[in-house]
Amino acid sequence: MNKESSRRGGPRAALARFLTNERWTQITVPIFCIILTLIVSAVVLLVLGKKPGTAFYSFLAGNGFLQKANYGSGSGMISDFFSFLNIMAPMLLAALAFIFGYRCGLFNIGISGQMLLSGYVATVFIGYSELPGAVARPLVLIVGIIVGGLAGAFIGFLKYRFNIHEVVSTIMVNYIISYVTAFRINLKYIDMISRSSKTISSAARLTFTKVQIAGCNCNIPLGIIIAILAAILVHFVFEKTVFGFELRAVGSNRNAALYTGVNVGKQMISAMMISGMLAGLAGVTYYLGYTNTIIPRELVSMGYDSIATALLGNNSPIGAIFSSVLITIFQNGASYMSSAVGVAKEIASVITGILLLFSACGGYFRRLAANYLRKLADEEEEAKKAAAAMAAEKGGEDK
Amino acid sequence: MTYINSLITDGLAFALPLFIMAVGGIYSEKSGVTNLAVEGFQGFGAFIGALIATILSLKSGLGGQTIIYIAIAAAFVGGAVYAMLHALLCIYFDADQVISGVVINILGLALTTFLTSQINGVLFGNASNKFVLETSYRFSVPGLSSIPIIGAIFTKVYPFEILILVLGVFFWYLMYKTRYGMRLRACGENPQAVDAAGGNVYKIRFISVMISGGLSGIGGMCIAYSLLVQYSPNIYLGYGYLAIAAMIFGNWNIIPTFFVCIFFGLAKAGGNQLCLVMQLSSLYTNLFMIIPYVLTLVMMIFFSKRNHPPKAAGQPYDKGQR
Repeated sequence: MNKESSRRGGPRAALARFLTNERWTQITVPIFCIILTLIVSAVVLLVLGKKPGTAFYSFLAGNGFLQKANYGSGSGMISDFFSFLNIMAPMLLAALAFIFGYRCGLFNIGISGQMLLSGYVATVFIGYSELPGAVARPLVLIVGIIVGGLAGAFIGFLKYRFNIHEVVSTIMVNYIISYVTAFRINLKYIDMISRSSKTISSAARLTFTKVQIAGCNCNIPLGIIIAILAAILVHFVFEKTVFGFELRAVGSNRNAALYTGVNVGKQMISAMMISGMLAGLAGVTYYLGYTNTIIPRELVSMGYDSIATALLGNNSPIGAIFSSVLITIFQNGASYMSSAVGVAKEIASVITGILLLFSACGGYFRRLAANYLRKLADEEEEAKKAAAAMAAEKGGEDK
Repeated sequence: MTYINSLITDGLAFALPLFIMAVGGIYSEKSGVTNLAVEGFQGFGAFIGALIATILSLKSGLGGQTIIYIAIAAAFVGGAVYAMLHALLCIYFDADQVISGVVINILGLALTTFLTSQINGVLFGNASNKFVLETSYRFSVPGLSSIPIIGAIFTKVYPFEILILVLGVFFWYLMYKTRYGMRLRACGENPQAVDAAGGNVYKIRFISVMISGGLSGIGGMCIAYSLLVQYSPNIYLGYGYLAIAAMIFGNWNIIPTFFVCIFFGLAKAGGNQLCLVMQLSSLYTNLFMIIPYVLTLVMMIFFSKRNHPPKAAGQPYDKGQR
């Protein structure tokens, strides 16, 4: 297609070019999906008789991006913002966990189970100990990484050695973990009043609670720094190392990778192991940071929401930072939005679901746009040919 | 003795809904569409069924047992309609089929939870997240039920168990003995051949996914009636995934899958009964709940190597490919 023709066409063609532009397609398609989602959810809110504008405003206000109508004493925009960061940290780590497996062609659906297991082990061994903060906090992270990594490697081993599909095995392991930890918590660590596990010592907690900033009580999370560092590290591994290249090779064509001498089995196990490590980190930042207790038998929905986050971020670690901001705004702002607008707070999950639905069709939108452009170019070519033929005919008549 | 009897009775009441969900999964995968969405289908189907049942018991004078049959039919329709979304994504939009399955599950849970509280708000004025259902009646076959041990099969039978058996036979016949069934299976192995023979691959796959959703919906509704006696987000207990595991064990064939489901049902009921026999406190039930999942993993270790899933499952059909 020449430059001149690509400039022509109405707004539809402009949209199509916007979506297929090779340099920007990684960003434009997700943005297109987000806009579609906002339109659909605005329609849903209108049908329910609520104002979409107010709803979207309260989503942002609930996360400290905008001013709420009124604040309780000791809280303000900045404390809302820190609580947003506090829940965003495990979300980003969980999304990175999914991305790591997915780039190698593996679906880690067991993130919530791996999170629960590492959170449980870290709670029992470090959270209930008397260790001082300087020792306890690093230990919590190390325990999270080791336990998550082992849980992930187990799944990878089952896949490689026994050909068990990782989706089925992770789900089975999820339920086993949730029942076994529930049994242990109910037996030994239950708090009879809150019906969840006893709270951990504040020295082991990855969130510094009630820090005074500008007159507001803020919960400052360590996790967010770890999460951003992890995103950068994962990006580096994928783009700059041989190991990362081999992982992606296995993910895009297993047979080709095998033929060029990549040890596919080893790569699959290590991909699942690292995915599990990241999930383990997500687990400790969630259970020993965002909350400081574990509700027995409950698998957090974050394990699945992180798949939405990863998909929306085009399975790139840097994209995941932005998409986890967006998804967390919906998830975390839901309760404030619910009280401000009066819609059940489950609407946040519905919006996430719709977003996920559109993201899954991202490739289809791109192809549709490309086909439309090709058709447009063909028509132009036809028109040119016809004009040339007409001109030739005319020339012939003149002679 | 009573332990063994209730083991068989409870085991069957759990195994048969699982079986019909697994048949749903087989229909979709045999036609070449990977189906991880059984969990979402069964939940959505059960939601529609429970909604219809609640409205009917509120507004119409129908008897409770008639409502159960209407609810099961509604669950079939609801599951089938919801499955169209998966079919659209996988067949026409070429989305990754595993991702589409996960999306359907997440969206199903979110939508039904949201709608349940909204509709409860409208119908009853309080936004509770569950529909309370009537308990289904159960019957015992006179004579047969008094035979020792085997008699337990005929004791306290839910009417839906008979329905599921009838449906199971019908859908087995449809898949293995009819022209449509042969084409459906061919779509999962070699869709190009079906196209060459004049079949419409897209249409066959679309219908199969809808059947899959409908059957899963029936399974969900039966579990709502037997296990929970209500509809709530608790319906997403992971039994859809268990059905998928059963399907993989059964090597994507209906008859072996039936026996696997019976085995799962007995294992689950056995765990509960074992807890009772050993007279352990209710704390230990959590520990016995893991039995079906551990058994699944262990059995998969032995059987996964010999599996051969439908060849074309997971790939969108491309007419230009050969």
